[in-house]
Amino acid sequence: MKAIVDCNSFYCSCERVFRPDLSQKPVVVLSNNDGCIISRSDEAKKLGVEMAGPFFMAKDIIEKHQVATFSSNYNLYGDMSYRVMETLKMLCGENNVEVYSVDEAFLDVSMVDKNFLDEHALQLRKTVEQWTGVSVSVGIAPTKTLAKIANHLAKENKADTNCIYTLDDHNLIKKVLRETSVSELWGVGRAYAQKLVNWGITDAWQLSNMSEDWARTHMGGVVGIRLIKELRGIPCIEMGQELVIKKMIATTRMFGKNVTKLSDIQEAVSTYTSRAAEKLRRQNSVASMIQVFMVAKEQSHPENFSHGATISAYATLPVATSVTNELIIPALKMVTQLYEPGRVYKKAGVMLSGLVSENCIQSNLFQPPVHANKRSLMQALDNINFSMRDDVIKFASSGIKTDWKMRREFHSPKYTSRWKELRKVD
Amino acid sequence: MAFDKLYYSAYSGSKRFSQQNIHSANATGFSAAADDYMERGIDLNEELIRNKPATFFMRVNSDAMKESGIYKEDVVVVDRSLKAATGKIIIAILNGELLIRRFEKNNNKIRLLADSNKLAPINIDASCEDFAIWGVVTYVIHKP
Repeated sequence: MKAIVDCNSFYCSCERVFRPDLSQKPVVVLSNNDGCIISRSDEAKKLGVEMAGPFFMAKDIIEKHQVATFSSNYNLYGDMSYRVMETLKMLCGENNVEVYSVDEAFLDVSMVDKNFLDEHALQLRKTVEQWTGVSVSVGIAPTKTLAKIANHLAKENKADTNCIYTLDDHNLIKKVLRETSVSELWGVGRAYAQKLVNWGITDAWQLSNMSEDWARTHMGGVVGIRLIKELRGIPCIEMGQELVIKKMIATTRMFGKNVTKLSDIQEAVSTYTSRAAEKLRRQNSVASMIQVFMVAKEQSHPENFSHGATISAYATLPVATSVTNELIIPALKMVTQLYEPGRVYKKAGVMLSGLVSENCIQSNLFQPPVHANKRSLMQALDNINFSMRDDVIKFASSGIKTDWKMRREFHSPKYTSRWKELRKVD
Repeated sequence: MAFDKLYYSAYSGSKRFSQQNIHSANATGFSAAADDYMERGIDLNEELIRNKPATFFMRVNSDAMKESGIYKEDVVVVDRSLKAATGKIIIAILNGELLIRRFEKNNNKIRLLADSNKLAPINIDASCEDFAIWGVVTYVIHKP
């Protein structure tokens, strides 16, 4: 049997651990740059605040009901996520936990006696909540795909389920699959779901009754067969490795204001490149390709909400690198190429790709070897910025006045990572 | 010897200390003799943190526990996994606020005591919905 543990309104939960005055009150957390709503407490959901809706569209409801609003505090969420996952590992054994995302983990619960599954789940839920303050829901089923459905049901009606739902009985699975539309299934995207609906397959039960041959020809071969088998209760997606090292790193932001000057865009892109390079070094990788993109306002419809087309350029680096200045130079060159005077820019970004491990850089015959000093310099830079504050030391091309970082108007303290920002007790 | 090698990874800013990578040790012959006795240096985390995922730090903002040697601006180590018992210092949630007090439970009557004669004990009603225990204080870090 597999279980999935999923944190309830994770970002909101993290904020509430340190703000007990907000328990039972509506809370929302905004995305980077305060653009969209990315986490809502149950109370906020009840008020009709939409998930992933733009912040300004929900502003009326938020003001009227005094919904507590937070900018995303990833330092805090990262730390709390680590705590939740560590707790699960301590309770279930390290090898039985697969961290699936920041707020979800798959557990292998085959060693638990069938009759005690509910009790085991309850124990997990209570311990995680006691230790970390984060509430979770647990879905249990024979396969990962079914466990995902079970988890959804656990969350749907928390009062009845006690945040736990076990799908183990054949008849129950049949009933539940009939009520689950194909678009809700794990790994089924919008386009894929539409394709299935066009064939007349609308619920998961219908899908699970399709033949493997049919799946092979119509549903992308192995992937389709796997999905159908999983729905029938035959495990096909085994416990995988923990989160894989990223193959691509992107830093992109809305400017939050109208930007027209080349020098301003260069500062912004330089800042994003530094940020991306830092992320790159943190996972001990180097990038062999850098892409810069910019989005200008649509010229024909100045009042239109939608963005204009994305223009981009990319450069292949002579030697893969994670040294910030070696990435900034090509990035700024590309900005100059892409820039058109007189246009209003809304957004820019940098994407690093072709990532390989630092230890296996392919050297270039025509370039002198990378000096270890550069790496030490970057390490010193990262350490200083990490131990003091972001951007204590930065490249001059990133500008000295303008703040191109995220707009975080409602930022909460980094309660768990900075001595100066600890929660106070009276 | 290169200067940067001297301090190599003794402190790499990762908040983790290790004494095993002192390069100078090899040159002096110290390592050969001391290799068998290599051990990590004293790590405060070892002593102060019993259950890492459940341990948090908080800053004291009142003199409520002065008599117990917990002063304003001190840092307290709080373990959420421990059960509150009479006599223990806890972080309590009361009406949405976080308080540091001594916990007392007698025949289902709960009292929060301040170790300072200026503050009266707080009686917690059995029906009180706005009371909960956040965690148990295990250590105090005080700067003299």
